[in-house]
Amino acid sequence: MYVAGIDIGSTYSKAILIDGERKVVGQAVRRTGFKLNQASEGVFEELLKNAGVAREDVTYVAATGYGRHTVAFRHTQVTELTAHAHAAAHLFPDTRTLLDIGGQDIKAVRIDGDGRVRAFRLNDKCAAGTGAFLEKTARYLGLTTADIGPYALRATKPVEVSSVCAVFAESEVINHLANGVPAEDIMMGAMVALGGRAVQLMRRVGLEAGYMLTGGMTHNAAMIKALEDNLKGKFNIAPNGLGQLNGAMGAALLGLRRAEKLLAEGKPIPPTAANLGTSDAPTRKRWSAMAGGCVKTR
Amino acid sequence: MSTATVQHPAPTETDDFDPRAEGQRLIKDWYAQLETANARNAAVANVFVMGNAVEILRAFDFELVFPEINSLQTGVRKASEEYIRLSEDYGMSPDVCSYVKADVGLILKENEHPAGRIPKASLAVASNMCGTFIKWAEIWERWLKTPTFVLDLPGQRAAGWQVRPGDAQHAADARWVEAQFQELIVQCERITGKRFDMDKLAEVEARVNKMVDHWNNVMALNRQCPAPFNAMLDGLTYIGIMNVHRGTEEGVEFMRRLEEHLKAKVGRGEGRVAEERFRLLFSGTPCYVSMRRLVELFETWGGVFAYSDYLTFAAGGMDATDLRYDTSRPLESLAEVTALAAQRGLSNQFFAHERLAQQIKDYAVDGVVFHGIKSCRFVSSGMADTREFINKRLDVPTLYIESDLIDPRYWSDAQIKNRVDAFFEALHQRGGGAPLARKTVATA
Repeated sequence: MYVAGIDIGSTYSKAILIDGERKVVGQAVRRTGFKLNQASEGVFEELLKNAGVAREDVTYVAATGYGRHTVAFRHTQVTELTAHAHAAAHLFPDTRTLLDIGGQDIKAVRIDGDGRVRAFRLNDKCAAGTGAFLEKTARYLGLTTADIGPYALRATKPVEVSSVCAVFAESEVINHLANGVPAEDIMMGAMVALGGRAVQLMRRVGLEAGYMLTGGMTHNAAMIKALEDNLKGKFNIAPNGLGQLNGAMGAALLGLRRAEKLLAEGKPIPPTAANLGTSDAPTRKRWSAMAGGCVKTR
Repeated sequence: MSTATVQHPAPTETDDFDPRAEGQRLIKDWYAQLETANARNAAVANVFVMGNAVEILRAFDFELVFPEINSLQTGVRKASEEYIRLSEDYGMSPDVCSYVKADVGLILKENEHPAGRIPKASLAVASNMCGTFIKWAEIWERWLKTPTFVLDLPGQRAAGWQVRPGDAQHAADARWVEAQFQELIVQCERITGKRFDMDKLAEVEARVNKMVDHWNNVMALNRQCPAPFNAMLDGLTYIGIMNVHRGTEEGVEFMRRLEEHLKAKVGRGEGRVAEERFRLLFSGTPCYVSMRRLVELFETWGGVFAYSDYLTFAAGGMDATDLRYDTSRPLESLAEVTALAAQRGLSNQFFAHERLAQQIKDYAVDGVVFHGIKSCRFVSSGMADTREFINKRLDVPTLYIESDLIDPRYWSDAQIKNRVDAFFEALHQRGGGAPLARKTVATA
């Protein structure tokens, strides 16, 4: 049995395929772009190709991320907070505080030993605490997203990028460049600023040791350093580049749990959202079922 | 936007009172009446929802304009952005209260409101319940030459201290307020050419008392599971009537029938949604421009706002049993109640945690939703501390979302939906989500 988790984020779409033993058999990442339904279809096709698995062999699809409702072939959906928490508990059972830096938002989640969300905070609407802020800074410095980590690690004297507004921060970057500050010091300064905001968000959910970092920033050694320096602690990061796919992994794990339950009960796998004729919000019932049918009586 | 629909129980045939339709009719009639006020040479007063001395103004037959309600109505009718942009084009900062900006837009549109033409006021009564009220009234004074009377209502004086009904400080505060009412009465006599009639004031107060009694019962009915109304949708209609028709026969009748209607609903075991799964408390001021959408996001998950402190905060001081008038001494009693209501209103952020803790218990609340207002830090700034208290001390889950009173530019559907969905998933993981029909809740 194969189960797919599809995470349609604001910047990247991620997909992961696991088998019945919860082993990862394929993964795919691609830019989301502005056509979200095409993004989900595209990343899924890529996933199947990478895994060498036929579409009809995928038993269940769980979607997450901002674009979760646009995945027409999903059986269920879950927010990325729940998905991340679930994957965190699976990969590093001692995780208590999780930080995910996405393209357009940043999430701090406090979880318990069973991967349940105890508290969460998201950044406010300002982009100054997000991956987009770093991308914008990098673009201005003529760097690609892949370059910025190694480049920033060359910094000897990071400068302060203090603005709380991503657009105003650009003015600061221009000002630093005009003053002859090396680009690597500016880039590292931007990462220190972002790291400070991210750790502050973690403090607001209550810092409990057992830290995990997820999202595209897990590929960025300079950003990890900036965060760990501020936190004065170490992050657990999923191996083999799975850090960026943590949300998709969580969705896949939740999907597998649901599929196993249905099969154990001898019930059929429900139709996908497309077959239900809706691409929008879940019904309450569907979520209860997905969580294991555990509608509890108080 | 979601296309998910929420199932609501169908109204029964025996109950012909539709609070929403009746509330809308009363608001429509009120605006129609205002439209002809200047032509009829009626005295018109601009008043705010809090600290407004409406009883005195009614005793002089003033017709009442509530600029805050005018502004929120532009939001409800999806016209607020046009008014707000007009005032920003004129030069007002984006940070200014969006109620004020919509009102300035209204003036710039020569009082053309989506609900009808708003009359020119012969008097404005403001107070220090909100610093913006005074600056707002100054705009009318400067632009429209509206005479303004500003009530100075004593608020918080020391940390951890509250006025209690009947204590020496309350008595002193009441005397201070009463002296100002005496001045207001002189000004009303001058504007209307009528003598002040104390008996008429007592009659208005007697009607307000009846409304308060019904209101308290209505609020208490929502302690039932399932809750018969959603505090942040149906409740907003109810407090609209509580304010606009405060002290009128129509107001008393509406509240009487509302209580009867809701009692019958409770008797039949009918809730606001077909299956109530989470009981919530909404803290803060509504986002009038998107309130229906917000409520839909919650009700899709079976979440109902059983209580909102807005229904206390914005009910014009008509929310507690000790805020009842003694009609045998109308003016003194009005001063006592006004002083007490003002003190509670002004101090509410200092003691919000105590108040909410009690309400969480009374209404068997599963989670608290805080709504911060981008253009009003006054009502939003204390929320972080209160939220901390509720999360950590009471271990009740909370959600913070932010938008605005009526400025649609601050509404971000995807961000809010994501937070709401994650909140419910977390509530569910905590063991919530069961139908609450069997939940035992203390009833008033």
